[in-house]
This record gives sequence, C-alpha cells and structure tokens, in this order.
Amino acid sequence: MTLLAINIPTINDGRSDFIVLANIWRDVMSKGKGAEVLFKFSSCNFLRPNAVVFLGALARLIEYFGGKPTFVVETMKPHISTNLLQNGFAYAMGADTHPWQGNSIPYQEYGHNDINRIVNNLKNEWLGRDWVNISNTLKNEIAGQMSEIYINSFEHSKTLIGVSSCGQHFPNRRELVLAVADFGVGIPSNVRSSVDDRLSGAETMRWAFTRGNTTAKQIYGPRGMGLDLLKEFVRLNGGKLEIYSHDGYARIDSSGEIYENLQAFLKEL
Amino acid sequence: MYIKVKSLVGENAMTLDDGAAIYNQIHDPLIQGETVALDFEGVEVFASPFFNAGVGHLLADLQPETLNERLKFDHLSDFGNRVLRRVIENAKEYYGSDLSQRNKIDRIVHDNAAVI
Repeated sequence: MTLLAINIPTINDGRSDFIVLANIWRDVMSKGKGAEVLFKFSSCNFLRPNAVVFLGALARLIEYFGGKPTFVVETMKPHISTNLLQNGFAYAMGADTHPWQGNSIPYQEYGHNDINRIVNNLKNEWLGRDWVNISNTLKNEIAGQMSEIYINSFEHSKTLIGVSSCGQHFPNRRELVLAVADFGVGIPSNVRSSVDDRLSGAETMRWAFTRGNTTAKQIYGPRGMGLDLLKEFVRLNGGKLEIYSHDGYARIDSSGEIYENLQAFLKEL
Repeated sequence: MYIKVKSLVGENAMTLDDGAAIYNQIHDPLIQGETVALDFEGVEVFASPFFNAGVGHLLADLQPETLNERLKFDHLSDFGNRVLRRVIENAKEYYGSDLSQRNKIDRIVHDNAAVI
C-alpha cells in the first residue's frame, strides 16, 4: 500500500483556501487507488467547516477506492482536536468519543434516502439552537430552501460517497455557516454534457443558476427550480452562498451574483 | 376526491418520489374531470422537486385553466404556496414552449444520461 503524508495547514474559506483543499485532493488522487494517507495537523491553527467537510468526504473517497485515511490526533493542537471531537467528525472517523453540543453544527454524512434526516438536522441542529430567533414557520421555510442544496447534489452529482455536511456558529461575527461537500462530477461537467462542451466554468455556473435550466431527465415534469429558488432566498435574506465546483465558481449575496472561472484542478473521477 | 398529503409523504414534502406518489393518485381522476382536494395539514417543509413531480407534471396533460378549476389546495403554508406558484409558472413555460425545442432538450439530456 502506497503511503502518503499530508500536512494540513490552517484553512479558512477564502479563494486561496479552496486552492489548498484542491491541492490536497490532487496529492491524494495522484497516489492512485488503495493509498494509505496520513493527515497531519502540526501547522494547523483553525479549520472552517468547509475544510472539515472536505476532509471528511475525502476520507470516504479514499476508503471507497480501497485506501486508508488516518487523522493523526497526536499532531493536533488541543483546540483543533477538541473541535473535531465536539462536532462529531472524530466520531465519524472512528474515535470513541461521542460528539457534544457546542458552537458547531454536527458533522454528518448522508445518503440518497436521508432527506428527512437532513431536514430534521437543519431544523434542530442548525436553526433550533437559539442562535437565531425565528418562528417555526420561518424555520420550516429555511430548512426547505437549504435542503435544495442536498437534493441537488444527490440528483446531479452522481456522488460515490454521499454528501458530507457540517457547520458552525460564530457569535462574534454573527455568522451561521453551513458547508456541504460531495466529490461528484460537478456542475460544469453536467452542463457541458447537456448544453455545450465549449462553455467556460463561469458560463456553466451561470446557466445552472438560471430558472428552468436543468440537466436532469424531465420524466417527472419540468425541473430547474432548486438553485434559482435558493438564489432568491439567499439574496432576499442577506445571506451568502458560494459554490466551488471544478473550474466554476458562483457567489450569490445581497449585492448580486458573480460567476468566475477557476483553475481546473478537480478532475472528474 | 380528497387526499391528505401527510398520510402519503409525511411532514416533509421534498422529493420527486414524494411528488410522484401524489401524481399517481390524482392524475387519472383529474383527466376524467373529477375535482381533487389536496390537504396539506401537518406538512411543514417543502422543496421544489415535490411540486415539480406532483403538480407541474400534470400540465403535460391538462391545460392550466383546467388544472386550476379541478385541483384545490387546502392548508398549504405561504412558503409552500410560493414554491408551488413558481413551479407552475415554470411548467407552463416548459409545456407551452415549442414542442420540437422541448424534444431537443429532452433528447440531449436523455442521451447524455444514458452514456454516463
């Protein structure tokens, strides 16, 4: 079995941080199937939820291809290991300690048939912790809108390992963050296959966020509403939505929508 | 005809399968001219695939005015109602578009799905 050691740095959720994550993915995939991968954290001072879900999903991908991921706890600073224990990431990766309640929204892994569990977790773990003071009606609305992300992933990504998700409440920044990751084929690939293979990454993302556009088989009637509804919801409520998908990037917030090309670092599997 | 949606899909009306369960119950009666009432009491969370498959799909066989006359919605939340209206508008555009264009889109998607 090929052995690979990867040093995980501090990872936030800026553009450069996603390049760091993509490079980690590339290093792992370059070792081929069946590699043993050691993740070391001695230079890591912080992991945003996007990094946690990325590492969790990557671990499942390594396992899917017959490899073995190991998170070297001894290299973690105490606050990093505590955070990964508290949010359930460590438990999901085989640690004995059960998660406990804190500022993290628990790390979860979902399969195709878990939509009710997703809704319940959104309502209880993300919106139901007194971080936001909202009515049950609004809670149900937000849970419905956010679930479109997961439904979209299951329907379009052809993910081999399901969908990973976690989040965090940052009280000082008044932020409630939710991160979702899969290692599916990605939006640009799907759009190019269905529409035009000459489209840039930015153009594929813009197409996907346009009402009525869909790459899904329309045997159950017309589709193409999910991302458009989500976009409207995020803009009206002063939120921010960012999607990194292969060579496409989308950011939606109250000031508008931005679609950009990224370096094509996440290849299809 | 009266259908309690919660008894078919539970508290969350989310997926294509949820919508198809409704569609399969109401499609034929609506075609035959029956009036159908969908009661959403106790259904709390909605997502667009449910309405796409359950209601939008009906516009393949029914004119919007006919569907409006025959299909009634009770106890649907404001949010559910908003998603439903958007789905219906989208379905009207889709089924009202030029048939050859629609077939072309469907064929492209179908062919690619078959290859993958």
